[in-house]
Amino acid sequence: MTNNNASHNENTATAIVTRLAKRSIFRNTRRTLLTVLLISCSLVAILFTDAFVRGMVSTMVKISTQTFLGEAQIHHQGFRATNDIDLYIENTRNVYAKIADTETIKAYAPRVISGAMTSSSDNVASAIIYGVDGHKEAKVSKLKQAMVEGDYLSGKESEILLGQRLAELLEVSLGDRLVVTVSQAHGGDLSQALFRVSGLFSFNERNMDNGMAFINLSQAQQLLNISGVHEIALRLQNLQQADDKSLPLWQTFNTETLETLSWQELVPQLSSMLAMTEYSTLVVSIILYVLVCLGLINTMFMSIFERQTEFGILLAIGTRPKQLFIQILLEGFFIGLLSVTLGLLLAYIVCYWGANVGIDYTDLEMTGMTLNEPIYLIVDITSFIKMALATLLVTVLACLYPAAHAARLQPSFAMRKTL
Amino acid sequence: MTTLAQNKKPKNDDSANSATVIETKALCRHFGQGDTLVKALTNANLTIERGEFTAIIGPSGSGKSTLLQLIGGLDSPTSGDVLLDNRHISQMTGSELSDFRRDHIGFIFQAYNLIPVLSAKENIEYIMLLQGISAHERAKRVTTIMHAVGLEGLEDRRPAELSGGQQQRVAVARAMVSEPSIILADEPTANLDSKTGIELLDMMKTLNEQQNMTFVFSTHDPKIMERAKRIIRLVDGCVVDDERRN
Ligand SMILES: Nc1ncnc2c1ncn2[C@@H]1O[C@H](COP(=O)(O)OP(=O)(O)O)[C@@H](O)[C@H]1O
Ligand SMILES: [Mg+2]
Repeated sequence: MTNNNASHNENTATAIVTRLAKRSIFRNTRRTLLTVLLISCSLVAILFTDAFVRGMVSTMVKISTQTFLGEAQIHHQGFRATNDIDLYIENTRNVYAKIADTETIKAYAPRVISGAMTSSSDNVASAIIYGVDGHKEAKVSKLKQAMVEGDYLSGKESEILLGQRLAELLEVSLGDRLVVTVSQAHGGDLSQALFRVSGLFSFNERNMDNGMAFINLSQAQQLLNISGVHEIALRLQNLQQADDKSLPLWQTFNTETLETLSWQELVPQLSSMLAMTEYSTLVVSIILYVLVCLGLINTMFMSIFERQTEFGILLAIGTRPKQLFIQILLEGFFIGLLSVTLGLLLAYIVCYWGANVGIDYTDLEMTGMTLNEPIYLIVDITSFIKMALATLLVTVLACLYPAAHAARLQPSFAMRKTL
Repeated sequence: MTTLAQNKKPKNDDSANSATVIETKALCRHFGQGDTLVKALTNANLTIERGEFTAIIGPSGSGKSTLLQLIGGLDSPTSGDVLLDNRHISQMTGSELSDFRRDHIGFIFQAYNLIPVLSAKENIEYIMLLQGISAHERAKRVTTIMHAVGLEGLEDRRPAELSGGQQQRVAVARAMVSEPSIILADEPTANLDSKTGIELLDMMKTLNEQQNMTFVFSTHDPKIMERAKRIIRLVDGCVVDDERRN
């Protein structure tokens, strides 16, 4: 009987402290319920923000990579820095053959790129002329889907597709004539060609719609007097491969003359913006955790003040201050546990809806990029669990202060009512 | 075998042999200072023997609660000393003092004695649970004490479902069940009607006689005080009278 006495002593004492904590939280059911609601709603807000930000990031990346960029691009070394049309990829046949051999690359679109003057009978505007292979381009970018009027490139001479806003600027419509002037490679002689507006497109993105025009690849090569292409946009099997620098494709297409970069490297603004968006989850969480803390501290103090006499009695009859401290922490833990359970349940419902229905922001343009697809929430289970545990931790931490207060109460409070 | 006195643990045997349970030496307790100085207790020298049934009487504000708090280690004296079972309790601190109170002193207060979320049985068990007494032993003692205080059948009621008198009986049971050296009761009948109060006190007296349990209680009710075997009278914090009756 005396052998296990000390540990037995601890066990039964812990059991009664736990029992007291469990029952105490249901004493003022309404207050507990309101507190649980506050915490669980905060958790829902945090989880929603997390899922929303993930959804938004993925939508934005998807939009920018799938609209025109591709997951990666091949250029001649130095082209991106200088935009010098002389720096084109020469032995294209060889490169295409290697692309065909690379499993991770699903499709590719060769492009010739040059600044140009476009003049109609009414107006003049500068634009970037892209020479593309209509068939291949359709497999990489959304150009074909972006057509709003006329026909997509068929490969015929003098076809040109204009951004809708550019067409407005030039005051041209389908079938109208347009002269494109460029300076040729290898010396810079001016070269001109006559086109007929064969189609209008809109990517729903201002810079693209008022500054881009597309012509057929071979005609662009003729116009610029080059035999290669400036850019090969790549569509990989999946987005994650753009991050995976161990894939052979990065070695194959980064040589003395070729430079191959992923979308993050091509548009560093986008990836830094995404990093900032993820930062916003953190800020939202911190604000809500602070609110949860304050709310819970308030509740716990109210509940402790109501029970001062009772705590005085508990202390008077031999409860150690440490045991009272633990009782209050346990009360916080149980409130946290209830809140997290409810919060996860509510978050599941909200996110299930948001992941399937999607949230439509089609009219909102962010930093020049239109979200022309609804945002579907993305639930990341690990991060859900992390935040649920963090909430639980926060509720227990928030109770440290009230618990310390309770543990310091004087047992003579038990007699206060007698004074 | 069924009386609590026979279950005494060895550690209490010392105090059983030496008859003195409590000794106070020049005990003083002052509150505040300067103009607001209150001398709640002045120079109290008392000795309480094992098995005594003592009333501390005096008008409101005379220092009864203060004296009981000092004896029970709920408050520290301004000067002087308290010895309980020959131990200086005013020198103990923290959980040492908590454990000493748990094992040596039973408390009964005027009201709100019980933990509302625990049943009568659980309230009585509480101290034994802190002490780590086995379930079997707990069950045995609870049955015995419930019978002794006349509350059989009410084990599972919460305090709110008990009358004031029943609640105080549970408090007496809780104080006694851990077999302390002494039970301190601060106006235990003050919240009861006079008939119930007298019944409670008669019950305490019976337990005192049957089990030789030491009781010290305060009161200002003449009908209650006349049941005591010893009366200590306080006026303005001073012991003015100490009378043993038979
Ligand atoms: N914590 C305290 N602070 C200040 N004065 C106190 C405190 N406790 C008791 N007193 C004062 O000490 C005196 C004795 O009080 P108390 O022992 O409660 O008397 P009784 O219990 O006999 O009514 C009273 O004047 C009371 O106001
Ligand atoms: Mg009093």
